[in-house]
Amino acid sequence: MARTNHRMVTDYKDDLRLFGTPWKRFGLVVMIAAFVLIPFKPDTIEFLFLPETANVTLDAFLDLHILALAGVFAIGAIGLNLLTGYTGQISLGHGVFVGAGAYLSAYLGTEYDLALQVLLPAAAILGFVIGGLVGPFALRLRGSYLVVVTLGLVVVGTWIFKEWRSVTGGHNGRSAGDVEPAIGPINFEELSLFGREFTSGQGMFWLIWAVVGLSALLVKNIVRSRTGRALQAVRDRDLAAEVIGVDPSRYKTLAFAISSSLAAVAGALYAPLQDFLTPGGLTEAGGFGLLMSIQFVAIIILGGLGTIYGSVVGAVLIGTLPEVVNAVTRRTDLPGIAGDGFSSGLLTVDQLNQVLFGLAIAVVLLIEPRGLAAVWEKFKLYLRTWPFTR
Amino acid sequence: MSGLSLFAYQAGSSASGSDRFLQALFDGTSLGARYALVVLGFVIIYRATGIINFAQGGFVLIGAYLTYNAMETWGVPFYPAIVVSMALTALLGVLMQRSILQLVFRESAGAVAWLLAWAIASYHEQGSWASFLIGLVVGAIVFVLVRKVELRSGGGKLNELPIFGAVMVTIGLLFVIEEIVPAVWGVNDLTLKDPWGIGAFRPGGLTIGHDKLWGIGFAAAALLLFVLVDRYTKVGIAMRAIHFDQEAAVAQGIPTGLAYAVAWGLAGAVAALAGTIEASGPNFSGALVVIAFLAFPAMILGGFDSPLGAVIGGIVIGIAQSMFLTYQPDWLGPGFDRVGIFIVMIVVLMVRPYGLFGTPEVRRV
Repeated sequence: MARTNHRMVTDYKDDLRLFGTPWKRFGLVVMIAAFVLIPFKPDTIEFLFLPETANVTLDAFLDLHILALAGVFAIGAIGLNLLTGYTGQISLGHGVFVGAGAYLSAYLGTEYDLALQVLLPAAAILGFVIGGLVGPFALRLRGSYLVVVTLGLVVVGTWIFKEWRSVTGGHNGRSAGDVEPAIGPINFEELSLFGREFTSGQGMFWLIWAVVGLSALLVKNIVRSRTGRALQAVRDRDLAAEVIGVDPSRYKTLAFAISSSLAAVAGALYAPLQDFLTPGGLTEAGGFGLLMSIQFVAIIILGGLGTIYGSVVGAVLIGTLPEVVNAVTRRTDLPGIAGDGFSSGLLTVDQLNQVLFGLAIAVVLLIEPRGLAAVWEKFKLYLRTWPFTR
Repeated sequence: MSGLSLFAYQAGSSASGSDRFLQALFDGTSLGARYALVVLGFVIIYRATGIINFAQGGFVLIGAYLTYNAMETWGVPFYPAIVVSMALTALLGVLMQRSILQLVFRESAGAVAWLLAWAIASYHEQGSWASFLIGLVVGAIVFVLVRKVELRSGGGKLNELPIFGAVMVTIGLLFVIEEIVPAVWGVNDLTLKDPWGIGAFRPGGLTIGHDKLWGIGFAAAALLLFVLVDRYTKVGIAMRAIHFDQEAAVAQGIPTGLAYAVAWGLAGAVAALAGTIEASGPNFSGALVVIAFLAFPAMILGGFDSPLGAVIGGIVIGIAQSMFLTYQPDWLGPGFDRVGIFIVMIVVLMVRPYGLFGTPEVRRV
């Protein structure tokens, strides 16, 4: 009798299971453990056996605020992956939807003192509506034309952010510090449970990564359902999909709506996390301009198109990159880098960040066009077929 | 925003209605000619390789700075300096295409070149040979490592980089170039010594700047030259054949690699010219990279693969922007002209999804 092979799927229900193998269940336990335990890490990390640079890097990487920000990016990236990875529609305008959610949350949260249980659904609805309105514009366009039109979305969107001053504060931005990240009576910035007080970093980490988990589950469920199969059929060959009775226009619009809805939810969490919102633009750093949209595309491409865990991994890497670079250059002396603004250097830290970001996109794509998810798959294949691996 | 702020002083000149209109028309044409030149660079690469080269903006930037470098550092007069800059930028384009996008010398040239550049730069800054040697050693190690991974994962099957992946790579390169340029030439405003001055013809109430006429002339010459190359030279025919049907072109023995490299070289040269014209005002800075983004509506309007479209799209968008600038109501806010051209682009695409002159993709069931 051969031993039971957990990868063997005997019926359709098995195929759809999220955590079908012991290893996947183990992975689930690890994820939950990380979610609960990471906020309890010590303030500064010192592993004696590691060199100082590595400690600094690790310290910056595990900064709770930065990880929470990475979580915001993960939510948006999961949404974009539904659109780009599963439906094949490329968008360079994802940042605008995040901006819409963020400004909505900042405006309603400040002016009307609304809490997250209202703000998050409101942002989701707003994103869904805007995405549903923008989506039809993309229906007739293909490939590179779609890329450039979504670039137009960035231009028009950031212009609205700049000119609608009563809501967005105009070019100089607006504060979102008064938005309370609270659901009902629980305020995540001043969390206290079982008589214990938690810092705002810990609270925001739990809040945001819980939403990441929910978004991942939502998109995973869409993807493995009838709708998801339709989306993938549209991606693979929309003409063929049309022939077998899938309406590409309907599903493309739906994908746009859901993806921008998730982006707006990410924005609604971004506002209380960042406390200040600026509009951004085509070439300006910061805000909801082209740079943020490119970051989202880079995240899903780095992580791997059409995989949800890839989006999360990519978001953690891209989201923490600036802070890690900052910390490392501040605490150590790299040749040619102006660390603190006093010593003359070839590149400033911000410039180094941009360069590294650009190189990361280029290098990962050239080495593994299908992203980190493909590296992981290859590694699993290597183990599975060991010792017959090349 | 060096070149684009040329409009600033016209807003103040209050002229009669028709003069105002004609002035806007002329300014728009001049702006459009500059757009057309940038778009031509996009079109050349798109026609040959099927990707939008976002790094084109970087080439424009490098072209402008290389002209400056040739004039200031090497003491070359203005016109030869343009040629030097065009040649160098073309070389850079070819190298980039061969080493990074064609993936020919991917394992070696890519990694080593960047690290060498890094090492040389830090040597230049700090004056120590140690950093140079470190750069070399690190470059060599990266080379060996990449090589190993390469062999294990089955060698050069990386040509399967999908089109959008290649576009993303060019975006990554744009980020790198945008920051390397100020690292080399500094962040301050530089000047090409205003080669065409501020002289102008003044027929009626109009101001027809000499610099703008030169810009239009250069753009027209470059476009004409490209059309001639495209029509009558072997390389031009090869590029068109590849655009038409890549597999058939390969089967006919057309060296696609060479044609790609030539396309990138031509695009680099055109970009250098565009950058120089753009920078030829009183001063310029790294911000002129934005023209590559503002040229997108022109490219869309004309269609990605049509040089004629580049001209017409450029001029239409240039005039549209100039009209927005002259006649927009105040409440739309400053800088609406740049938004307006994108709105024009979106509207045009709703009517014609492949631009005015683009080739529709034929899809069969």
